[in-house]
Amino acid sequence: MTRLEKVFNKKETKNKVLVTYTVAGDPNLGSSKKILNDLIASGADILEIGVPFSDPMSEGPVIQKAHERALKKNIEFKDILNLCRQIRIKNSNVPIVLMGYMNSFLSLKNKLAEELTQAGVDGVIVVDLPYDESKSFFNNLKKENIDLIRLISPTTDSKRLKRMLASSSGYLYYVSLKGITGAELKNFNEVKNKVKRIKSLTNLPVVVGFGIKDELTAKKMASFSDGIVVGTKIIDFIEKKSIPKISNFTKSLKKAIN
Amino acid sequence: MKYKKLTKYAFPDKEGRFGEFGGKYVSETLITALEELEKVYTQVKKDKSFQKEVIKDLNDFVGRPSPLYFAERWTKKLGGAKIYLKREDLNHTGAHKINNTVGQVLLAKKMGKKRVIAETGAGQHGVATATVAARHGLECIIFMGEEDIERQALNVYRMKLLGAEVCSVDSGTKTLKDAMNEAMRDWVTNVEDTHYIIGSVAGPHPYPEIVRDFNSIVGKELKIQSKKELGKYPDIIVACVGGGSNAMGIFYPFIKDTKTKLVGVEAGGSGVKSGKHAAPLSDGKVGVLHGMKTYLMQDKNGQILSTYSVSAGLDYPGVGPEHAYLRDIGRVEYESATDKQALKSFHDLTKTEGIMPALETSHALAYVNKIAPKLSRSKIIVINLSGRGDKDMFTVAKEDGMTL
Repeated sequence: MTRLEKVFNKKETKNKVLVTYTVAGDPNLGSSKKILNDLIASGADILEIGVPFSDPMSEGPVIQKAHERALKKNIEFKDILNLCRQIRIKNSNVPIVLMGYMNSFLSLKNKLAEELTQAGVDGVIVVDLPYDESKSFFNNLKKENIDLIRLISPTTDSKRLKRMLASSSGYLYYVSLKGITGAELKNFNEVKNKVKRIKSLTNLPVVVGFGIKDELTAKKMASFSDGIVVGTKIIDFIEKKSIPKISNFTKSLKKAIN
Repeated sequence: MKYKKLTKYAFPDKEGRFGEFGGKYVSETLITALEELEKVYTQVKKDKSFQKEVIKDLNDFVGRPSPLYFAERWTKKLGGAKIYLKREDLNHTGAHKINNTVGQVLLAKKMGKKRVIAETGAGQHGVATATVAARHGLECIIFMGEEDIERQALNVYRMKLLGAEVCSVDSGTKTLKDAMNEAMRDWVTNVEDTHYIIGSVAGPHPYPEIVRDFNSIVGKELKIQSKKELGKYPDIIVACVGGGSNAMGIFYPFIKDTKTKLVGVEAGGSGVKSGKHAAPLSDGKVGVLHGMKTYLMQDKNGQILSTYSVSAGLDYPGVGPEHAYLRDIGRVEYESATDKQALKSFHDLTKTEGIMPALETSHALAYVNKIAPKLSRSKIIVINLSGRGDKDMFTVAKEDGMTL
């Protein structure tokens, strides 16, 4: 069983999964490592680690600035892999998922899957790699048992969804709104119906992300899904130089969803 | 040359690719919008009444066909091949960009979209979009890098006069690529009522095809004009390449006519070897940005590098995927011209022909300035004079050490 499967298997005990997103190297590599370890200690079940990119097209202003802060520290892909290795030294269970843009992953060429495995990475989310373009990338990752986590959006229709599900693994990331990270989430019922629809078509766990910024939204979203992703709000603490507050916030979310 | 025969040249393919280049590298949310656009575009290609409407607008609103002009004094001065200019600078709004927006705004209306957005570098595409939006009564938002807003103040004011909202983009390098990022962010948020009018042969499929097709009126006219007025097709066609829309527009109808040499000229900035330039086809690597796989200026970690050019319209780290393909098969030759060479040609054409070219176009002129003297007088070179230079007055004055 993979680390991701193990996390979601606890579902039987009705535990909802808390996924956190932070950007590698924001505000610097040392703090990044500390933040990630604190997140684990405060209840994060899966770490999504953002790969900073010069052109983060799907991000709202808060996460854009996180990418910029990390790039100012000259974070390279090998630093991110090292960061993952360091997390693994202390913790061999928490799944690590790298989230970023296609051009960053392309920079590792045919060594990507191997390097990711060696660094203890379990899955990859590529924001600008839709299902249609992903076949060879998916197959390469599969060889090393790395999951390509698919993003599903409100505009994904059923026909397309079925095709995507045929080559999905790990979990599914439902993007709750049409927009960028950190945007305002308005229509809960629509999200609920969509997630139910997805769940009726697959056994894969479905987590909901985008627009989750407090206990209330987290609780609502978790009530019909397998877990939630929170990113902008955590990064907001980093931007405001309130890193110590992240732990309590994470704990409160974890409590709210379970 | 790697190609044997181009008689079957038919790109993009079903996957939206030009060889390995192109594709649809966008977030999942945008896929439906791209599929809709593709479907509607496939329909209108065969729809005679739609095509008639485009042609009518190109004639009556844009002022087409644009003349093919013999640059007699400049030809004499250079003392070699005969130089002709395809006068896209005479179009309404002063550049080739309107050929595309006239078509795309009709597509937007066909899809029932009430709002159009666009990115702009030099401001020409922004003005061309604001112009058609005004004509059709659509809401219009233009994204423009903070740095470009500063160097293209005249165009910014033109857009505002036309009723568009100009959004200043202060992220990243504050130029064209960042404006495109921001336009993508707006589109993904407002995808239901908004059409994104991409201004170059760049971005995800089907944009490179749509923008090429609408601009290829330039090459189609040139075929007719050169046959009629010169008795043959040009020996060489030269165009500047940023994203590459004016070049694709004039090249495309000639791709299968392999006797005509096609040359694209990129922005060499301070020189390709200096690293300060915007010439991904001369000094870039294959990657993915803005929805397409193409040549990009990037570092070893895949971070997109800052570009540099005196001309805002060429200041872009990528290039349309069809150019990447045409480069690799060797059908089009890609060169570069430096800021200095472009500025010299700007002044030369202005003084010898009474035509003030855009700084973008001046890069194509600079290449011709170099090769024309070496060619025989029987050879014919056509330059796509893609835009006029009024918008560049402040930049040129500054380069010449003057204040206006």
